Amino acid sequence: MRPHFIEHESESSARQRRTSVEVDSVEMSFVDPPAPPSALAPAWAPLWLRRAGAVAAAIYLLSIWLGAAGSRLPEQVLPPPLRFFTQVAELFPKAATDAIEWRVRGWRCDRGTFEEVDVRPFFPIRRDDKENQFDRTMFFYHRQRAVLEALDEYIVAAQNHQRADERIGGVMLLSLRIPIPPLGMPGPRQHWMPIADYPPSVARKYWYSTPPEVRQKRCRGTP
Amino acid sequence: MRPRIATRVGAWLGARQPIERLALLRIMIPLAVLGFLSSRLAHADHWLSAVGFRVPDLGGDWRQPMYLPPTPVGVAWAMAVTIAASGLCLAVGLATQPAAAIFALLVGYTTLADRREAFTVNKLAPVLALALFLAPSGARYGVDAWRRSRRDPAAARPTEIEGGVIRFFQVFLATMYSASGIAKVRGDWLTEQVLWTHLHDQYQTYVGWLVMRILPGWAWWALQGLVLLFEVGAPLWFALSSTRKPALVIGLVMHIMIGIMFGPVVWFALLMGSMLVACYLPEPFLLRVRRWNPAARFSRSLRRPC
Repeated sequence: MRPHFIEHESESSARQRRTSVEVDSVEMSFVDPPAPPSALAPAWAPLWLRRAGAVAAAIYLLSIWLGAAGSRLPEQVLPPPLRFFTQVAELFPKAATDAIEWRVRGWRCDRGTFEEVDVRPFFPIRRDDKENQFDRTMFFYHRQRAVLEALDEYIVAAQNHQRADERIGGVMLLSLRIPIPPLGMPGPRQHWMPIADYPPSVARKYWYSTPPEVRQKRCRGTP
Repeated sequence: MRPRIATRVGAWLGARQPIERLALLRIMIPLAVLGFLSSRLAHADHWLSAVGFRVPDLGGDWRQPMYLPPTPVGVAWAMAVTIAASGLCLAVGLATQPAAAIFALLVGYTTLADRREAFTVNKLAPVLALALFLAPSGARYGVDAWRRSRRDPAAARPTEIEGGVIRFFQVFLATMYSASGIAKVRGDWLTEQVLWTHLHDQYQTYVGWLVMRILPGWAWWALQGLVLLFEVGAPLWFALSSTRKPALVIGLVMHIMIGIMFGPVVWFALLMGSMLVACYLPEPFLLRVRRWNPAARFSRSLRRPC
């Protein structure tokens, strides 16, 4: 179906014509070029759909604003999957006390010690910054035992598959709390470093460790 | 009194807008979203299927608004290709309405499917794409419009749209800034130096690090105050014609600074910055775009004798 456009003179084209009259008079010209006719792009959506869209838009905007302002109304009214899409405006509201790095130490089956495992290759989406799936899993779920156990299994399987000569039987999941330098005194540029290179002033907090019997069982298992 | 207010609001909502605003939104929104999603789409198997680590079903935990099981690997890749294709189609105005609908649905699905990879950009994307779906987004400056003009060269090209959808985007920006500003006031922005602390993690870019070395300490407080003032007062700054242009400039500079100093946040900055331009750029600048018409210039240059 060929759409037709409604021709009329709108406020913008009238303004444009007025402007050209003013410019022409300054240039001592008597020519007043006609403004091109404006044409309205017809809406394809039926009126009821556009009205429904307008109501949904109003609810959406109100929910964003109320949620950020601390109201519990969106929580009470909207189902979680819909509310999720309205939780967009609370951007960096709090000061960070430290820079947090999430790390893994693996139980080496051959040496019987914990050593750092670089898990970045196992989580390839944005592997070098805190938007990767490992950092985000730890950020959201570092107190959720069920998630940490599933993460433990995934990391052990990935390590033993990709680095068969460095098999591990379990993991320790930890965070490093790197102090933020005082205002106006930036330290060296931020980059990934092994845990061992951080000074003792960087606090380590352990959130999960594979139980010893599970580690031993996995290490006894066939590679 | 009440009917007069309702009439004025109705007139404001319905006031016609240059079609260039909608075209700019249609081009820039999917491109910014695709830029953000590109690092996820390139690893669709790790993102959506059981190849990568998936958070188990937590049965209604607040951090998991909806549990969606992992997809088969082939489906994950098919979804990634479809998101990329529909986003590009929307940007070039090809099969605009179906492309917008598919893009909105699939980005919405993937955002729910992996809460860990849900950020502001892909949480906003389904709603913004739905707004483009409801509007006549393919009426000009796109493949659909070009094909229509080929079929009927005499037909007038649309220059305006009904204002509703542009008003939605304009109010959305003011709401977003204002809500973000209020959240900052409720947080630490009045009492602690927040900007400085957030530049010290993996988001830090080389430019961010350089700026930190150059700017004195007091400048960070000045920047923080300016951001807060801009955001909290955004509805007022954008409503008043006398403050609209300065607000546009401050907003753009803020997003440019965010984009160059906070690594992956560049896509959010691009999304918000391009929406700011599309919604609030003064009309004379937009009309220049209409008059520019590079295709006509090119064809004229071909006809010109050597």
